[in-house]
Amino acid sequence: MTDPQGGRRGLSAARRTVQSRIRFTSLRLRLVVVFGLVALTAAVSASAIAYWLNREAVLTRTQDAVLRDFQQEMQNRASSLPVHPTQDELQHTAGQMANSSQRFSVLLVATDEQGRTVVGNSDLDTFTLEDVPKSLQKAVNKQQTASSAGGHAYHLYWQRIVDGGKPSLVGGAKVIGGGPTGYMLKSLEPEAKDLNSLAWSLGIATGLALIGSALLAQAAATTVLKPVHRLGIAARRLGEGQLDTRLRVSGTDELAELSRTFNSAAESLEKKVADMSSREEASRRFVADMSHELRTPLTAITAVTEVLEEELDAGTGGLDPMIEPAVRLVVSETRRLNDLVENLMEVTRFDAGTARLVVDYVDIADQITACIDARAWLDAVELNAERGIMARLDPRRLDVILANLIGNALKHGGSPVRVAVREEGEELVIEVRDHGPGIPEDVLPHVFDRFYKASASRPRSEGSGLGLSIAMENAHIHGGEITAANSPEGGAVFTLRLPRDASPLVEEEKRNGNGTKGNAR
Amino acid sequence: MAPVPSLLLIEDDDAIRTALELSLTRQGHRVATAATGEDGLKLLREQRPDLIVLDVMLPGIDGFEVCRRIRRTDQLPIILLTARSDDIDVVVGLESGADDYVVKPVQGRVLDARIRAVLRRGERESSDSATFGNVVIDRSAMTVTKNGEDLQLTPTELRLLLELSRRPGQALSRQQLLRLVWEHDYLGDSRLVDACVQRLRAKVEDVPSSPTLIRTVRGVGYRLDAPQ
Repeated sequence: MTDPQGGRRGLSAARRTVQSRIRFTSLRLRLVVVFGLVALTAAVSASAIAYWLNREAVLTRTQDAVLRDFQQEMQNRASSLPVHPTQDELQHTAGQMANSSQRFSVLLVATDEQGRTVVGNSDLDTFTLEDVPKSLQKAVNKQQTASSAGGHAYHLYWQRIVDGGKPSLVGGAKVIGGGPTGYMLKSLEPEAKDLNSLAWSLGIATGLALIGSALLAQAAATTVLKPVHRLGIAARRLGEGQLDTRLRVSGTDELAELSRTFNSAAESLEKKVADMSSREEASRRFVADMSHELRTPLTAITAVTEVLEEELDAGTGGLDPMIEPAVRLVVSETRRLNDLVENLMEVTRFDAGTARLVVDYVDIADQITACIDARAWLDAVELNAERGIMARLDPRRLDVILANLIGNALKHGGSPVRVAVREEGEELVIEVRDHGPGIPEDVLPHVFDRFYKASASRPRSEGSGLGLSIAMENAHIHGGEITAANSPEGGAVFTLRLPRDASPLVEEEKRNGNGTKGNAR
Repeated sequence: MAPVPSLLLIEDDDAIRTALELSLTRQGHRVATAATGEDGLKLLREQRPDLIVLDVMLPGIDGFEVCRRIRRTDQLPIILLTARSDDIDVVVGLESGADDYVVKPVQGRVLDARIRAVLRRGERESSDSATFGNVVIDRSAMTVTKNGEDLQLTPTELRLLLELSRRPGQALSRQQLLRLVWEHDYLGDSRLVDACVQRLRAKVEDVPSSPTLIRTVRGVGYRLDAPQ
C-alpha cells in the first residue's frame, strides 16, 4: 500500500467518524428534546392544577373564616349600636370588632342624628371608605327584595382586591333594620406568600423534573446508542475485511435481534468468502504445483537440447539433414516453454504473495543500458537517460519490467523505440514510446490483463501473454504503477512510475513477513 | 589444482542428473554423480572434487543440511541447484554456506559459466601481502591469518576479501562486488554479497555483530577499513 493511498484512507475514515458522531449526537439530542418536552408538559400541567386547587382551597378557607367572624362581630357589636350612633361610638365599636381573632380592619359607616355620615375606623391609616370598591358599597347598601334570599333585607358581600400590590379581602354588610354599614379589610398577604412559595416549589420541582428527564434521556440514548454504535463499528470492520467480527448478543430486545441478524449475516459471509478463497487457493496451488512439476522435466530437456544445439552448431555433420530442423524446433520450443513456465511461476508467486523485493542502490541509466545490451536491442532502442540517477529498487524486477515494456514496444510498435528517464520529486519516471500504429482504444484497458491478446488471429509466437501483467505486478510490488496511452504524435507510450526508494516497503515486508518466514523453515 | 576440474553433482532426479552430467561433461568437466545427500557426502570424502553442484530438494537429508555438513570440514565451492526460486530458499541456501545458486530449469551454459567463475576464485595471484589490524592477507600464498592463525576461507570468501583489500577505504557497491567476485552480469543477486560478507565477518572480525574491518556503507555497499 503506498503512502498517499493510506493517507487518503485515513482522511476518509476521520471524516466518517466525524459524520457518525454528528449523526449520533443528533439522535441523542432528539431523544433529550422529546423527553424534556414530555417532562415539561407533565410537570407544568400538574403544577398548574395543584397550584390552582391549593389557591382556591387556601383562599376560600381564610375567606370563610374571616367573613364568618365579621358577620358574627356585626351581629354582636354593630347591631347593638343605636341607629344613629356617634362618631366615638362607631370608632369604639370598630376597634372592638377589629380585635377579633381574625385580625381584620373594620370600617363602620352610619348617619348620626343630624343626618351627617359618620365613620368609625379601627385602623385609620390602612382602611378608609376609598379602599372599598364602589360596586361593593352599592351591593351592600342595596335593599334586597324580601322574597329573593331567605328574607333578609341586606346581604354580606365580599370582593378580593389588590391594593398597592397587596392582595386583600374586602367585605361589607349592613345591619338589618337601619344600623350602621360595616366593612372589613383583611390582608391576604400571608396566604399570597404561602401560595407564592408553593409556586416557587412547584417551579423548582418542574425544573428538577426537566433535569431528571434530560438525564434519563441521556441514559436511554446511551443504552440505545451504545449497541447501535457497536453495530456500526462491527459493520465497518466487516466491511474492511475482518470477517470474524461478531457482536455479543445480550437481552431479547430489537437491538439484540439486530445483533443476532448481523452475526448470522457475518457468519454466512465469512463462510462464503472462506469457501471462495479456498477454491481460489486450490486453483492457484494447482497452477503453482503444475508449473513446479513442469520444471523438473524441463531442466533435463533444456540441458539435453543444448547439447543437441551445440552439436548442430559445431557442424560436424553427424546429424541427418532431415533431423536438423526437428532438432532446431525442439530447441526453440523448449526455450519458449521455459519462458512460459518461468512466467507462470512468477505469476503464481505474485498471486500467493510470496514475491519479495531485493533492493539495491543502482544507477538507472546503467541498468537500462545493460538490459538493452543483454538482449541485443542496442540498435533498435534510443535511450535518453543521464547517468547518475540513482534509485533504491530491485534491479532484477526493474529488468523484468523494462524487458517486457521494451520487448512489447519492439514487437508491436516497431523501432525506433525511445526510452526516456526523468525524476519527478520522489518518483522515477521511465517512458517507453514506440513508433507503431498505437493501441486501439478498446484494447487499451486490457493491455495488462493476463493472456489478453489484441486479436485472435495474432500469430502465437508473440510471447506468453503474461509479460505486461508481470511487468505491472513488478511495478506494484515496488509501490509503483504502469500506464499505457497513445501518444498524440503516434505510437504507444508506456509510462512506468516507481518510488526512488523502495526500501521502506522491504522493511515493512520484513516486519510483516517474519512469522511466515519462521514457519516456512 | 587439477587441469580438468572435477565436479560432484548431487541430484535425485534421474533425468536431470543424466542430462546435466551429459551437458557438463561436454563442457569439459569431470563429473561424479550421487542421487542422495548421504551418497554425496561419501563420494566427497572419497573423490575430493573441486566443486559441488547440489540440488536442494533431496530425499533424506536435504541440500541445505548437506551444505551445512560440508562446511563443517571443507571450504570447497558449492553451487546450489534449486527448483524453487522462492526467495526464502535462496536466503536459507546462502546462509547454510553456498557460494552461488542456479535456478532450474538451468541452461547448461549458465551453470558452466558459474562453475568456471567459482573455480577461478581459487586461482593464485602474483602479489604481495597486506595487513589489516590483526588480519594478514597473503596474496601470493592465498592465505589469510588472524593473530598468526590460518583462517579457513572458501574461495569466494577469500576472493571477496581480496577485492575489498585491493581498495582499502573505498566503498564497493554490491553490484561491483557481484561482477568482481561472482562474475555475474548486471542482474546478480545482491543477497549473495550480503550472505558472503556475513560469513566472512564471522571468521575475520573480533566481534562479528559490530564489525571494525568490513564496514557496511549504508545505501552503497561495503568497505574494508584498517582499524585505527
